[in-house]
Amino acid sequence: MAVETEASMLVRVQQENFSLDQELERVRARSTRIGGIALFLGTARDHSKGHDVSSMTFEHYEGMAQKKLKEIRERALQDFDIIEALVLHRYGPIEIGENIVLIIVGAEHRADAFKACQWCIDELKKITPIWKMEYTPQGDVWVEEHP
Amino acid sequence: MVQVRLFGMLKTLVAGVSMLEIPLPDGAQVKDLVDVLHAQYPDLGELLVQKKVVVSVNQDIAHWDTALVESDEIALLPPFAGGA
Repeated sequence: MAVETEASMLVRVQQENFSLDQELERVRARSTRIGGIALFLGTARDHSKGHDVSSMTFEHYEGMAQKKLKEIRERALQDFDIIEALVLHRYGPIEIGENIVLIIVGAEHRADAFKACQWCIDELKKITPIWKMEYTPQGDVWVEEHP
Repeated sequence: MVQVRLFGMLKTLVAGVSMLEIPLPDGAQVKDLVDVLHAQYPDLGELLVQKKVVVSVNQDIAHWDTALVESDEIALLPPFAGGA
């Protein structure tokens, strides 16, 4: 299957799960100059701040969330010595162990890929209007802050 | 009249609604909106005053002197919690 390479496929907020292989290939296929790929995958854990979590739901601000992820990709491409970056975040109900967020950065060398990948996920947490509700035995909790 | 969207935990502060309609005079600014909200919903108002909740206008973070018009897309954004 041909890998779609439009920039819009490299920045997405979507409800459905994503395939790591497919997304990795999408970045790899962007350039044969890529020699190192760093990846951050965030998944749903069953424990948070001392309480059990049975599942969660992500809410996003449609339009603004996409705009911020696009801004993150563009700034990463501008500020780091990298070749491509992909930023995905899911919304809606997510079960424990499922994928939530994916950052993939391709560069000529690993150091730049690692640095840009970490910056992208840190920046995503700071500026992207996405919120998480956790379902716990004590009730439903909107998560207010993240380390 | 402006429409104000609410996200995340803010809905729990205003009886579960995700949209408020707030009457505002012509030439109103974000700070005027905050004053009205503070009067009607003190808990929400306090979070706005403490800057724990920010206001966006047309999908950009607004300042307190940002002018508002009826067609603006206004939203109240609690602290973000994306990622994992």
